[in-house]
Amino acid sequence: MDYSAIYPELILALFAIAIPAIGMVVKNSKYLAAISLTGIGLSMLAVFLFFYNGTGPIEFDTGLLVLDNFSALFMMIFLCVAFVVVLASGKFIENEKHVPEYYCLVLLATVGMLLVASAQDLFVLYLGIEITSMSSYALVAFRKKDLRGSEAATKYFIFGGFSSAFTLFGISLIYGLTGVTSFTEVGAAVAGLTDMKEMLWVALVMVIVGFGFKVAMVPFHSWAPDVYDGAPTTITAMLAAGSKKMGLVAMFKFFLIALLAIKADWEIVVAVLAILTMTVGNLAALNQTSIKRMLAYSSIAQAGYILIAIAVGTEFALTGGIFHIMTHAFMKGGAFIIVATLATVAIGDRIVEYKGLAKRSAILAFAMTIMLFSLAGIPPLAGFDSKVVLFSSAIYGATDGSEWMIWLAIAGIINSAISLYYYARVVKYMYVDELEEGEKSEKLKLPTSMLAAIIICVVAVIGIGVWPEPFIEFCKDAAAAFF
Amino acid sequence: MSILEYAWLIPVLPLLAFVIVGFLGGKMKDNGAIVAVIGVGGAMVLALWTAFEVLTTGVVYKPESMEWVVLSSDYSMEMGVYIDSVAAMMLIVVSFIAFLVVVYSTAYMHDQGKRQRRYFTEICLFVGVMLGLVLANNFLQMFIFWELVGLCSYLLIGFWFERPAAARAAKKAFLVTRVGDVMLMIGLFLLFTEFHSLNYELIWGNLTTADQTTLAFAGFFLFGGAIGKSAQFPLHDWLPDAMEGPTTVSALIHAATMVNAGVYLTARAFPIIATSADVSLFVAAIGGITAFIAATMALCAPKIKGVLAYSTVSQLGYMILALGTGAFLWNQGHHEAGSLAFGAGLFHLMNHAFFKGQLFLGAGSVIHYVGTEELSKMGGLGKYMKVTSITMLISCISIAGIPFFSGFWSKDEILAMTFEATDVNLWFLLLWIMGVATAFMTAFYMFRMWFMAFKGEPGEGTKHVIEHGGHHHEAPIAMLLPLVILAALAFGSWLSLFIGDGFYSVINVEGEFHALSIIERLEEVFSSPLTWVSIAMAGGGIALAYYTFNKRRISAENVVSKGFPKAMRQLLLDRYKFPVAYDKIGYVGVYGFSLLLDKFDRYVIDGIVNGISKFLIKAGGVVRKSQTGFVQNYTTLLLLGVSLIIVLLYVVGALR
Repeated sequence: MDYSAIYPELILALFAIAIPAIGMVVKNSKYLAAISLTGIGLSMLAVFLFFYNGTGPIEFDTGLLVLDNFSALFMMIFLCVAFVVVLASGKFIENEKHVPEYYCLVLLATVGMLLVASAQDLFVLYLGIEITSMSSYALVAFRKKDLRGSEAATKYFIFGGFSSAFTLFGISLIYGLTGVTSFTEVGAAVAGLTDMKEMLWVALVMVIVGFGFKVAMVPFHSWAPDVYDGAPTTITAMLAAGSKKMGLVAMFKFFLIALLAIKADWEIVVAVLAILTMTVGNLAALNQTSIKRMLAYSSIAQAGYILIAIAVGTEFALTGGIFHIMTHAFMKGGAFIIVATLATVAIGDRIVEYKGLAKRSAILAFAMTIMLFSLAGIPPLAGFDSKVVLFSSAIYGATDGSEWMIWLAIAGIINSAISLYYYARVVKYMYVDELEEGEKSEKLKLPTSMLAAIIICVVAVIGIGVWPEPFIEFCKDAAAAFF
Repeated sequence: MSILEYAWLIPVLPLLAFVIVGFLGGKMKDNGAIVAVIGVGGAMVLALWTAFEVLTTGVVYKPESMEWVVLSSDYSMEMGVYIDSVAAMMLIVVSFIAFLVVVYSTAYMHDQGKRQRRYFTEICLFVGVMLGLVLANNFLQMFIFWELVGLCSYLLIGFWFERPAAARAAKKAFLVTRVGDVMLMIGLFLLFTEFHSLNYELIWGNLTTADQTTLAFAGFFLFGGAIGKSAQFPLHDWLPDAMEGPTTVSALIHAATMVNAGVYLTARAFPIIATSADVSLFVAAIGGITAFIAATMALCAPKIKGVLAYSTVSQLGYMILALGTGAFLWNQGHHEAGSLAFGAGLFHLMNHAFFKGQLFLGAGSVIHYVGTEELSKMGGLGKYMKVTSITMLISCISIAGIPFFSGFWSKDEILAMTFEATDVNLWFLLLWIMGVATAFMTAFYMFRMWFMAFKGEPGEGTKHVIEHGGHHHEAPIAMLLPLVILAALAFGSWLSLFIGDGFYSVINVEGEFHALSIIERLEEVFSSPLTWVSIAMAGGGIALAYYTFNKRRISAENVVSKGFPKAMRQLLLDRYKFPVAYDKIGYVGVYGFSLLLDKFDRYVIDGIVNGISKFLIKAGGVVRKSQTGFVQNYTTLLLLGVSLIIVLLYVVGALR
């Protein structure tokens, strides 16, 4: 038992437990946010020390949890998302009730994500997913008097239940077939499986559906726009940038380790679903009037791009997938936090309300433009670099017998072109459209902490975009550790 | 280790000032002037220190560069710093003159009020990117800064954008240099395909093993970039128009930043150009032609800044002539002579930066005082502007090429090298004759300007100022001090020939130089008949100007009143019809073609695209409607999804 493998989770869990207690004394949202940030910071430090020491993989217990380049990188991403979300929340929820519980749940949700990142075992993975899910149900319902929020939480809970049931069913079938639970052992056992192939297929269907819900894969995506729309916006940022990515990490482990032996059976299914996901996501985003819904659909589309990594399944593709998850965490998280920030100054989430924003707050308009253009994949922003790696992996993957993979890249590129329409539309509202007489035009006063969160995202998106090399190296190392 | 490790800060400081002034300048009392002075001043201190370190130790500073984008294992782009003696010299020139210009601007732009914020923001960016360009260790990084320099010149030339002439000039500068930029890009592509990297040293080190045809084309296209940026024939015409910006901007563009970038590029591309005799000759010829025709246009330019602008174009021609000649001599195996010509070109760049910077700032002071740019309305200003007139006189003597002023030393060396190349190729005789004629004209037009402005009867403008009792005093100290310092350098920068082993021992190609003591150099220079030819030309030009515009023994009006001289004068005022030609090419050729493309785009491409997008948006509407919000419907979708997966699994399974 090497506890240093789970220091990040432990630190975070301790803070999560302590915060409600502290909350009895400290009521101010900002102080609680600061305490949570300390926890996240310490947890980041633990991950950083792993990188810094360069000791190689640390196993908590053989086949249970591991801290290696792959899990550490994802921990860092999830912690960054949590950091930015908490930073923005300090102001965002200051007038709400149950503030301590909010931070407690955010931290717990993050603990779940960290567990998924380092899980080596089917059940640990499931446990991590459930910790995150349970926390997020409550977080979505955080404003319990808000009708839309409650509706969203109910839907999220119902579909979360579906997802869990399917996943658990799939896991139990796999366990029944193989008798082991660690991913590598399952992988070996699946490779050696001679009969009962049909049962494996049933398990496969169940797992695809279960995770399909988690990552909002089409046609299991329908809950996502409603939930993203109804949840408090900071939580939406966490769902889109964090917990959805957790689902993708879980998929990586499931498909690329445990079920790798039968890749021929599922790769086309995943590929078709990937193309379907990005296309439906982008098409639905075209006509949205609410920016949160638009971003929700854009999230669906982005998940479609990342699924390419699973369908292609090479180390290069995984590098691209990880890289895109990393960049997407910043650009989508940033975009939602900008929406949240504007909500604090009474600019709602209808896209028309963004009219003339450039005049009212040059910084926010600029930051939003950066985020949207990065999502669309315009150089020299991070989203461009990660799409390049991801799509080119599909092209390189298209060798003998897998020429169809090239279509993944083509679909991705066409979809990127389509998506530019709805991203650029927002920019047009912000910069080109003039405010008419009588419309609000005064300069906006924005909360500093939220601006800080936004600036972190902007710096990350531009920084990674301009100098991607070290980040790609990290992702490469992570992908190498994975296989 | 040493100051060199902080060299990367040199461009960062002005860029920092750019950000600070840009965002906060409006709130500052002085609109950010002091921040700009500190930013650029800090860069100057650091730059001078760095340059001192590099020049005295003679070690090229080249830290390991960062990998920026690695396309595959052997194609890579990087970011890094490379400071050899050439870069060090550029650092001195750019940072020093930029600093003086910024100091000068604090007084000169004072009446611009809130606009100063924009001015200082853009100036800081301009200086920062120029310094970044100098420090680059590869052509790509240089190109990025190169484009930013272009952007800044666009912004600053169009500083008074509400004046149509300024807006037009800015556009012209941007578009004309753009032609060169495209050529430069082609050159970079060629180099990148050949070497898989754009690192200077890597390219210089592998020239012999590379494909010589590709190299020749690469050299040609790289030089194309310099033609645009350094206003060489036939893309020279944007520079005279660029006078529409504030005079300080002209000083910066002409002396420190923009146009020097082209010469610097040519110096960096020198080893590549030198691989081909034809390209070298081409470079030299472009330089010679530019020097000559720009000088002719300066002869009768009516505005003080116009004279200076043509003069810059002409002097840049000299520099390019020197570099081209050097490359040619190097190519032909005359390494020592080639290296000397290369050094002479850069020596002229340095000297020119000082005296041209001084002249522009002086012209700014004159315009500030008299309120007009027309030379004919000045006259007699010498009495009222002692400092300005004397410092400008020093610069005029220097640019004219009178011995023991800096301009003489570099110009004479360039002409001597050009003449030396005649041994190898007779075309250089023609270039030498053009160069000598240019020297004569240079002396003439500079002194024409000086006499017209400062001597003789007071003109309209002068009278107006005096009668209205305006300011009888000269410009404030912040403007005079830079004038004096630059005038001192305009006279004295030739002393660098005699510091240590001299200028050429530091600025040369691969350590090829001919060490000479002071006596030896003086002996060599003044024993050559060529030297006396160029001195005679300079003296003749000055004398002619003196008799025409000061003594009025020769009436300029009579000379150009009729016949061929009149037509010639009109042609020169029309700038050999170059602007018209640009317009013709632009309107008829490019615009006509683009109209055609527009039609195609509008009816064919747009038709297809609009059709697709209409379809997509319709489809989007359908997809959006499927989102009913009812959980029941969603579960139906779930059922469909599960069925889809199962069907897919079986189809795929059956196919295999």
